[in-house]
Amino acid sequence: MRRETLIVGTLVVVFFLSLVLAIRYGAVAIDFAHLDKIEKNILFQVRIPRVALAALVGAALSLSGLLFQYVMQNPLADAFTTGAAASSALGAVAALVLGAEALVLPSGLCGAMVGLFTVFRVASFRGRLLPVTMLLAGIVVSTFASAAISLLKFLHEDSVASIVFWLMGGFQNASYGRVGLLVLVIGGTLIFLWKRRLALDLAAFDDATAVSSGLSIDRLRRELLFLGALLTSVSVAFSGIIGFVGLIVPHILRLCGFYRAEHLIALSLLFGSTFMLLADLAARSILPGGEELPVGVLTSSLGGLFFLYLLIHRKRQLYEMD
Amino acid sequence: MSTHRVLTGFLLALGFVLVLVHSVWARRIVILYAAASPIVKALGVPEDEVVGVTRTDQVFPRATKVGSHLRPNLELIRALSPDLVIVGSKKAFPDSAAERLKAAIFRYDPRTLKEILEAIEALGRVLGREEAARNLVVELKAELAALKPLPRRPNVIYEVSSLPLKVAGRRSIVNDIIRVAGGRNLVTAEKKHVLLSPEAVLALNPDFYLYQVGPMNRNPVSPKKRPYFKGLESRVIRVDEHEFARPGLNAFSAAVKLNRIFFETLNQRP
Repeated sequence: MRRETLIVGTLVVVFFLSLVLAIRYGAVAIDFAHLDKIEKNILFQVRIPRVALAALVGAALSLSGLLFQYVMQNPLADAFTTGAAASSALGAVAALVLGAEALVLPSGLCGAMVGLFTVFRVASFRGRLLPVTMLLAGIVVSTFASAAISLLKFLHEDSVASIVFWLMGGFQNASYGRVGLLVLVIGGTLIFLWKRRLALDLAAFDDATAVSSGLSIDRLRRELLFLGALLTSVSVAFSGIIGFVGLIVPHILRLCGFYRAEHLIALSLLFGSTFMLLADLAARSILPGGEELPVGVLTSSLGGLFFLYLLIHRKRQLYEMD
Repeated sequence: MSTHRVLTGFLLALGFVLVLVHSVWARRIVILYAAASPIVKALGVPEDEVVGVTRTDQVFPRATKVGSHLRPNLELIRALSPDLVIVGSKKAFPDSAAERLKAAIFRYDPRTLKEILEAIEALGRVLGREEAARNLVVELKAELAALKPLPRRPNVIYEVSSLPLKVAGRRSIVNDIIRVAGGRNLVTAEKKHVLLSPEAVLALNPDFYLYQVGPMNRNPVSPKKRPYFKGLESRVIRVDEHEFARPGLNAFSAAVKLNRIFFETLNQRP
């Protein structure tokens, strides 16, 4: 059996196992054999939509990370380094401090678009997009957005706890409506990406190779940028900021030997969902008495540990010290 | 004529001495915890003695605003030369910050109605208004005489914020307001605010689900309109955050109001 097939098979099994575990366990123990009225409510109105939202947000963030990495031609690009997450968060936080809960999604979307437009303008030069400048501009936008969020927190001290928790991410407010909207966004993105999968493979090479193969690389980058921003802002609006998923998932897949766009896209969805399902399960099960941890804290801790591991174990390889 | 001049001179001198004595002996109070302001006022402290308050404090409108209770401006406070600063918990205003003020510090951090009464008496002693404090305590205790006995002890959950879902724990003043009103807070975690799963709320199945509206929970969606609370069978009641979640004089009327709601609802139900 080929190594890749084995990895895919393992991922599929782990995904379904995570799904079962996430539905089986939670803040409240449910007797699945004899569901009473309250347990039915908990299962169908709270747990299942939450599990579905966690899986979809994991998939959306992984996919957005992958798209940003294609745009920037840099494996360290994700919704954070492009400024999309922070600017989306700024829009959503602004809606929160104004007490307009219903405006969190459109405001987050506007924030992400404004942030990415700024990055886009700064990184455009004579009709071309400069990936390195785009990365740096993303960091600048991210810094500005973070500063603005800090200012809003300072000016609205009573709302600080809500803002801080929201910035650390969570799936408490899951609903079938949100799940449906995210399915539409991910589905639409997938249809587009499937048609452009060969172009994505070409975009992974240098610009000259891609252009000489007849690819309009700048147009593709603009399209991917928009889709990445859409996926990020919808995820951020529904679940707050959840770090590192978009970075580590495509990274691990490449380490496992997957490079073609169609494989990376499909496996990013699967791996991202699994990762988020398990992170959310831990977030709502670690503390006793129904208390919860912000899921972003767990994903960032795991992401940090993973990169630390990579740095330590690949140091020799990276710097050719053997 | 000369007698008149002498009298005028005497009165002017007396006025000058009185102003001087007042400026030397009058207290200069800074209040960094807004819930303490109505108590200071109720104790009869003249308005000009309160020289500084936090930015949300409307009880002493002429006092200088010295920032917020979490981030007071120490420079401004020092400039006001207070001889008494009323502060909140050590978390909000640590001892290290208090030491830098070089003024007497009164820590006002009650977690129960009984502790509020004790704090009033202690504050009365510090301000030299023991009698006013005793009278205020008697008045507040009398207010609680309006509490009615309930047919049973209702189970309650109090929402502090909806995004994320945070509820009052045992260290919140709300916990004691519920207890005094005759109810039982179902959240027993030893914390002021507890981040609770909606699953746990449904499983606890409270008789009353109170949700506050105010700076910590601005325009929340009504609980039963939220997707995760569609199955919530509790009686949902909207309350004012300033009235229920501040450990001041308001806590007593809040307990009476809540008791009335419990009484009317429980006597309606079969």
